[in-house]
Amino acid sequence: MLYIIGLGLADIEDITLKGLNAVRNSDLVYLEHYTSILGGGADYKNELEKFYGKEIILADRTMVEQNSDEIIDAAKDKTVSFLVVGDPFGATTHTDLVLRAVEKGIKYKVVHNASIMNAIGCCGLQLYNYGETISICFWSDAENWKPKSYFEKICENRSRGLHTLCLLDIKVKEKSLINLIKNRDIYEPPRFMSVAQASSQMVQIIQEARDYVMDEDDENLTEINLKKLVEANILTEDTLAVGLARVGKDDQTIRVDTIKNLADCDLGSPLHSMVIAGKLHPLEIDFLRLFYNGEAQVKFDDLVNSHNDFYVKK
Amino acid sequence: MVNFTIDEIRSLMDKKKNIRNMSVIAHVDHGKSTLTDSLVCKAGIIASAKAGEARFTDTRKDEQERCITIKATAISLFYEIPEKDFQFIQQEKEEDRHFLINLIDSPGHVDFSSEVTAALRVTDGALVVVDCVSGVCVQTETVLRQAIAERIKPILFMNKMDRALLELQLDQEDMFQTFQRIVENVNVIIATYNQEDGPMGDIQVDPTRGTVGFGAGLHGWAFTLKEFAEMYSSKFKIEVPKLMKRFWGDNFYSPSEKKWSTTGGEGYTRGFSQFVLDPIFKVVQSIMNFRKEEYLKLIEKLNIKIAAEDKDKLVEGGKPLMKAVMKSWLPAGDTLLAMIAIHLPSPVTAQKYRTEMLYEGPHDDEAFLGMKNCDPNGPLMMYISKMVPTSDKGRFYAFGRVFSGTVATGQKARIMGPNYVPGKKEDLCVKAIQRTILMMGRYVEPIENVPCGNICGLVGVDQFLVKTGTITTFENAHNLKVMKFSVSPVVRVAVEAKNPADLPKLVEGLKRLAKSDPMVQCIIEESGEHIVAGAGELHLEICLKDLEEDHACIPIKISDPVVSYRETVIDESSEMCLSKSPNKHNRLYMKAVPMPEGLPDDIDKNEVNARQDFKIRARYLSEKYEYDVTEARKIWCFGPEGTGPNLLIDCTKGVQYLNEIKDSVVAGFQWATKEGPMAEENVRGVRFNLYDVTLHADAIHRGGGQIIPTARRCLYGCILTASPRFFEPVYLVEIQCPEAAVGGIYGVLNRRRGVVIEETQVTGTPMFVVKAHLPVNESFGFTADLRSNTGGQAFPQCVFDHWQVLNGSPTDAGTKTRQVLDDTRKRKGLKEGLPDLDQYLDKL
Repeated sequence: MLYIIGLGLADIEDITLKGLNAVRNSDLVYLEHYTSILGGGADYKNELEKFYGKEIILADRTMVEQNSDEIIDAAKDKTVSFLVVGDPFGATTHTDLVLRAVEKGIKYKVVHNASIMNAIGCCGLQLYNYGETISICFWSDAENWKPKSYFEKICENRSRGLHTLCLLDIKVKEKSLINLIKNRDIYEPPRFMSVAQASSQMVQIIQEARDYVMDEDDENLTEINLKKLVEANILTEDTLAVGLARVGKDDQTIRVDTIKNLADCDLGSPLHSMVIAGKLHPLEIDFLRLFYNGEAQVKFDDLVNSHNDFYVKK
Repeated sequence: MVNFTIDEIRSLMDKKKNIRNMSVIAHVDHGKSTLTDSLVCKAGIIASAKAGEARFTDTRKDEQERCITIKATAISLFYEIPEKDFQFIQQEKEEDRHFLINLIDSPGHVDFSSEVTAALRVTDGALVVVDCVSGVCVQTETVLRQAIAERIKPILFMNKMDRALLELQLDQEDMFQTFQRIVENVNVIIATYNQEDGPMGDIQVDPTRGTVGFGAGLHGWAFTLKEFAEMYSSKFKIEVPKLMKRFWGDNFYSPSEKKWSTTGGEGYTRGFSQFVLDPIFKVVQSIMNFRKEEYLKLIEKLNIKIAAEDKDKLVEGGKPLMKAVMKSWLPAGDTLLAMIAIHLPSPVTAQKYRTEMLYEGPHDDEAFLGMKNCDPNGPLMMYISKMVPTSDKGRFYAFGRVFSGTVATGQKARIMGPNYVPGKKEDLCVKAIQRTILMMGRYVEPIENVPCGNICGLVGVDQFLVKTGTITTFENAHNLKVMKFSVSPVVRVAVEAKNPADLPKLVEGLKRLAKSDPMVQCIIEESGEHIVAGAGELHLEICLKDLEEDHACIPIKISDPVVSYRETVIDESSEMCLSKSPNKHNRLYMKAVPMPEGLPDDIDKNEVNARQDFKIRARYLSEKYEYDVTEARKIWCFGPEGTGPNLLIDCTKGVQYLNEIKDSVVAGFQWATKEGPMAEENVRGVRFNLYDVTLHADAIHRGGGQIIPTARRCLYGCILTASPRFFEPVYLVEIQCPEAAVGGIYGVLNRRRGVVIEETQVTGTPMFVVKAHLPVNESFGFTADLRSNTGGQAFPQCVFDHWQVLNGSPTDAGTKTRQVLDDTRKRKGLKEGLPDLDQYLDKL
């Protein structure tokens, strides 16, 4: 039997009772250890082991993606729990694992839990009004890796009046390009993207697109498209966004401001998430006001007004 | 020799229109070094302080022992052109008859062609020496081709005329035919590689224009038609240039009728025989046959001055006298120096057409203009073509040519290696130049600065460059183009220290070796083996000797030589190859197709390359290789190293976000083509088509970590499903021998899988030339084997020629391909056998 169990977001105690019972009855317990980390702590494996009274095997990317047979084969005649931070089918989906288990005729059960996909409701923007979720990746000059495609998606959501949940890049155990090519098992130190980094990346895209000069017979469609989007003012430095840190924990922090201002904020230790607001409902505005940290309340209304300008003109 | 102070030499350097930078190039044993000696004796510049102790020809001990040149050496010559010759200079000139000639003597053995390449880069003209008995040989063609590719203007010198006269006893008509054939052969090569309407214009050599010299380097005499035309000009009352035309080709003269004719006939003799060869024949024959009265008369008639110390030879006659007479009648030094000054271009002339080929940057920036105008006040642009070891162990002088600006001691400059990309910081150092020096043979002299158009050495740059590089003061300068060698390092050995504790010394020694030779490659394999790769057996032998004795100074163990192979395919992939990324969300669909014949060579030759305008490239590919134009426009990259002979082509239609994974697929492609699936050898001649891509909607799930390994696996799958094969390197061997030895040659070639492609007799001689293709793998010990089977009469020259597919599938045990696969994998410490296809491909 293969249990796929969500651990929730914040603390070791977030696991559901059903999940906890399953873990305690398992012969083997694997902890997925690369798409997220519980509550952002560095070493929660020991705490978990103490709490469950079970030994835990860390499953990194290589193990889950390339050697998943080890987990599945063990589930043939043993009870195996596969722990996933958040919800098993939330922000990171483990559908592939399930598919392979089914292929081998192994029974599985899923224990759900909270995921950032629903806990994001805490900032007051209605879950019904969210569009496509996107991720923002770390850029790397060395690898010439600068994906900007998410910007178009935010704009798509925005033009339909929808909010966008932005998941920020997590690199728990990744190889650098050179080590990947040399096939060396050397890993980079863990890195987590902050709201400030994500915001400044967006500001950079906006500015670069604005400064981009089109040539005649320019075939760089991505840049041209970005320029059009920016010039249509669908997403600007003054668009309102919500920065969230350590959602579900006691020291959870939420900050509402323009993207430009968020680029300078410090929300503390990871994990961070971000929401780019779409068309705002009056109730949503009142809720967001709670997390605005600016000088005077009047100013917030100004921000909201200029934010909603886009929809008024439309 | 000429004695000069450094200041005097320095003042010559400013007269850039009177500078000639030239190399002497030829087939091995055609007499370059001997000829160069006669020039050095006549005009070699030595600094006053060193006068008396300088001996330029004496460089390496092994060079003397083997009687071959190994390293190219530069020498400066000073020449004051006679008033009468000054008018013949057609290009721009200074109002001054003093010339500074920088001459580089290069090795003739093919294994050292990389030295020739390095020499050609810093020079503008080349003196091509051909032995008139052996004629144009394989290496003559190779070096000439290289020279033309570098836009170097050639002039021809027919050497060893003494042998044709004394040994072969050719009559005058045969001698003319021999010369004419060689001139034609050389011009055929020139015409093949140079367009007449190209930037260099018509560079064919022509005796009637004085660009062909004749003579004997060993005896120190030489002439062009100009020398003889001058002798007769007043008699015929015909101007020298006009008369020169009469002295060549089908121009006949009848002394009785005193008339010229182009058809000949009774009483008519060929102009060349009548006026050029006949006097020489008479002088030589009378002296060699001891007809004293006759030769004394001739000497007087020709107004030949005999040096005081040679006076006593007049009585004896014979060879010593012949040498003395010929040398003073037709001094080689004067003739050659005049040829060089008149016909070879000055830096000012040459840089006008060479700059566009040398400079990688835009054709209108400061650096380009500085080079094109050869402007000493422009930004500094200098190309370092090689490193020369100093007496200080482990340190090197950086040797090169200043193309623009002035390089000075203490000047702060940007030192850019071959991997430097403008705007980035990789392979770039900004450092002061410790010292600029003049390099004269073995000796060096510090000099304050050197203006453009000259060749010099730099101290303190060696730490920042591996072998070659660009030195500039212009911040936005691009690199000067990296040299392309005509030979590739196809023979390799593994080396290790006899005493394992000496490993650090070995590593240091290998680093120095890599610096000191333009071509040698020192590589550390994944397995930890140290590999030295060279152009041929002799090249490796010299390198390893240097490593052991000079660079590492420790006893080393050397493995048997092995050959590097290339992996390729001979069919299209039998199925659409699909690989999924580790997270299974991304899928790549690709196929491999063999390239049409000729395309990999075109890429090697840079005819097709990554920097071309994609539209021009696509047109070329579609016209010559029938590639679909739309597809040919979407070449993503070349590989390995971004330039190699494999292509990745985007054949997808409307895939969103494809450009975001392009870099990752390219990285995977570079990796896969560098280390192929069969034996981790380079891949060659394969075109990969990317047909379709399925991507995860979110960028984070399609990063490099997901795509790079997937692209590599997919490419490997493509190769394995497209009938993979090995290419093995094949030499073109040219063997000269007497007729009796030909049988022995065939025997040896047969045993070594050699295929004879041509067998000809050298006209007018008993010598035969056999040309054959010989796999490099079979060439080890070939020279020794050949000698022992022909009684030491056959001498081979091996030059890398092409890659040839090894027959047989790698899946069948017992084939040669399988054996190569097994041996290579074993040597590299890889898992045995051909990798399983399942490792690389996924099912839908």
